Amino acid sequence: MDWLSRQFSTRVIVLMPIAIAINIVLGATVQQALKLPIYLDSIGTILVGVVAGPFAGLLTGVLSNLIWGYLLPAPIGSTTIGPFAIVAGVIGLLAGVWGRLGLFRSRRGESSSIPGAVVAVILVGALAVYTYARAYASPTDFQNNTGFDPATIDQSRIFFLLILVVFVALIAVALFLRRDVGAVYAIGAGLVTGIVAAIVSAPIAAVVFGGVTGSGTDLLVAAFRAGGDSLVSATLKQGLLSDPMDKMITSFVVFFIIGNLSQRFIARFPNGERLVSTSSM
Amino acid sequence: MTADRPTGSPPSPPDFVLQAPSGAYLSLNPATKLLVAAVEVEAAFLVGTWTGPVLVLLLVLASAAIAGVLPRLAVIVAVTVPIVASIMLINGFLYPGAVDVIVRIGPLAPSVSGFQFGLQITLRLLAASLALAVAYLATRTDDLLSDLERRGFGRRATYVIGSAIETVPRTVDRAAEIVDAQRSRGLDTEGRWWRRARGIVPLAAPVVFGALTEVEERTMALEARAFSTPGPRTVLRVLPDSTPQRLGRYVLLLALVAMIVGRITGPLAVLP
Amino acid sequence: MSLRLEGVSYRYAGSTATVLSGVDLVVERGEVVGLVGANEAGKTTLCLVAAGLAPATIGGRLVGTVHIDDLSTAVARPFELAQRCGTLFQNPATQLSGTAPTVWEEIAFGPRNLALPLAEVVARVEEAVRLLAIGDLVRRDPARLSGGQAQLIALAGVLALRPSYLILDEPTSQLDPQGTRLVGDALAALAAHANVGVLIVEHKTDLLAGLASRVAVIEAGRLVAGGPAADTLADERLPGWGVQPPAPVRLARAAAAAGVSLG
Repeated sequence: MDWLSRQFSTRVIVLMPIAIAINIVLGATVQQALKLPIYLDSIGTILVGVVAGPFAGLLTGVLSNLIWGYLLPAPIGSTTIGPFAIVAGVIGLLAGVWGRLGLFRSRRGESSSIPGAVVAVILVGALAVYTYARAYASPTDFQNNTGFDPATIDQSRIFFLLILVVFVALIAVALFLRRDVGAVYAIGAGLVTGIVAAIVSAPIAAVVFGGVTGSGTDLLVAAFRAGGDSLVSATLKQGLLSDPMDKMITSFVVFFIIGNLSQRFIARFPNGERLVSTSSM
Repeated sequence: MTADRPTGSPPSPPDFVLQAPSGAYLSLNPATKLLVAAVEVEAAFLVGTWTGPVLVLLLVLASAAIAGVLPRLAVIVAVTVPIVASIMLINGFLYPGAVDVIVRIGPLAPSVSGFQFGLQITLRLLAASLALAVAYLATRTDDLLSDLERRGFGRRATYVIGSAIETVPRTVDRAAEIVDAQRSRGLDTEGRWWRRARGIVPLAAPVVFGALTEVEERTMALEARAFSTPGPRTVLRVLPDSTPQRLGRYVLLLALVAMIVGRITGPLAVLP
Repeated sequence: MSLRLEGVSYRYAGSTATVLSGVDLVVERGEVVGLVGANEAGKTTLCLVAAGLAPATIGGRLVGTVHIDDLSTAVARPFELAQRCGTLFQNPATQLSGTAPTVWEEIAFGPRNLALPLAEVVARVEEAVRLLAIGDLVRRDPARLSGGQAQLIALAGVLALRPSYLILDEPTSQLDPQGTRLVGDALAALAAHANVGVLIVEHKTDLLAGLASRVAVIEAGRLVAGGPAADTLADERLPGWGVQPPAPVRLARAAAAAGVSLG
């Protein structure tokens, strides 16, 4: 029980509502003001998971969506968010695991981390290839009820390429701007989180909303359905495209935030000692 | 303040703290209203394909009328318009495997079964979200939190929820100020997607860092007010509850379980 | 019985810089002690250490001892400290719990945390309200108060824990002149009527001159002067420590420099 209560120190309890507000406000702004096909509604969740632990992350994610969906009045509140509370919880839980593994630790100027980073990129890349090959190259698994010939489209390469481009671009930006190998681990963790999030959220989106969410990503769902995909298959494909990109960007942002906060501040959180660069202590 | 109460009786919080909601439906205990909403949501998804959503929708509208929140439901319905449009268009025009296609226009194939499916999803969604909206509109958040705390919810949980609800509007204001300021300096909120994407960093960074600077101050202020004392807090007010409501809640809990059983074993699945 | 710092040195966690060194300071119940010094001299750190928030809440390394009556802050837990020593910070907005719909419930936040009987909670809220004369605010929404009003409510929230000592870290620095007067008057009334020992950091030395019986000066983490308020605030070295003397002292000096006698 001690490890559990330590995740909820007063400092974490204070951080959680602030993180929830960051999730909701940025999520709503990006979707409504900037109208981009990403969500950016889990910065707070991933931040709490990383600095405080898996259970705190899980609760932050779940509460974000429940409050956003059900406890806020209409212009901000949006009933479409509530059912995805489970997904948000999984995202926070994973972030907590990544934080425990030290994947968000700054490794500025640690050349000894480079081989590890290369291995991480290869492992994450292999996982991504496997997932996308299953989702796109053999769509029969997902579209048994469509009667559509899966051989005529092979979108897998295009979409996998897109994800890979974002993955590599973010890593390049991280290495170029911050000279920090640690970003590679964080972005890789984001990619994995995104894939898991897509797999968890597809059935929810399909059952509750008929595959749509009323946001920019609906166009993608429409495109897949026009291509003949079933409901779950189309939402899964949309998710596998949007979620990894979103979570890679979010993880990169969180890594950047942690790197820019005072080390003294970060060190006071339950997971603090696993986040502060060993060379700066 | 001391003049508010007759001398001699034990001191109690002033009336404006204790006042409980009055009026039909509104005066029900928050736990009852929450449970009613949960049963309605579940029914919308588990009872038949049309029966559940339609029944729940009627029930929700009736309770909203009794509670006097019917006009405010209109706003909730307005918010769901984009998603309802999405649901109808995507399913209506792009329903894979439909045999009753009306007309084919390129990749678009509007079909009867597609529109039926879209309508069914829409009804479910409306029923579920309006059920929750009525619970929300008929309950003050503070009442809900007081009641949860009295039922053994910890101080940490109620703080997180209460504080989040208070923090969101403040953060919205700050984000709006930042968007305005960045717009006047050329942030693009209407242009092509990559131009809009470039706007994320100058928008997100001040919001996030501004919010995080408060963490230390708030932590110390809470500690200075004995927040980390172990155990439950003093209950300030007990919201009215009644035996019929308590019995009713057991019935509702039974209904929650019964619907799952009914759906799995079949009787609810075969309903229209 | 007093708030005593003996041979106190302190450094923050994750930092090698010593922010306080060799500080000795005593605050008795019923007296007001002022603390002045330049920015970054260690005033806020001294407040945190004296209140026990450092190291209990923020960690760091404390050398020497801090006793609040008979309780050593090195071993005490935050909620035990909060009942003996109240702390008021600079920013009124972040000190309110943000979970109370009315000012009355905001003030009750602390006593409720202690799980006191309801009648005791009510008595303490009413006492704090009476002490600060804020009866006309109790029905208001704490989120819609002016800065000065919010700071008064924050003070009331701390007083409702009935501390023996109060640490005030620049309580008026973020307030407009009106708010400063509001809080200043309340503090003066409090110092006169409540039997609490007060340690107040305040760069508005005019306010301090009217409140404090003793004043100490901190520079680079050390107490470099201390004594009766009138003497310390008239010390000629004050501007050299980055502290502006009160207006009467400056006036007298300017007059003396100009060769005018103010009798």
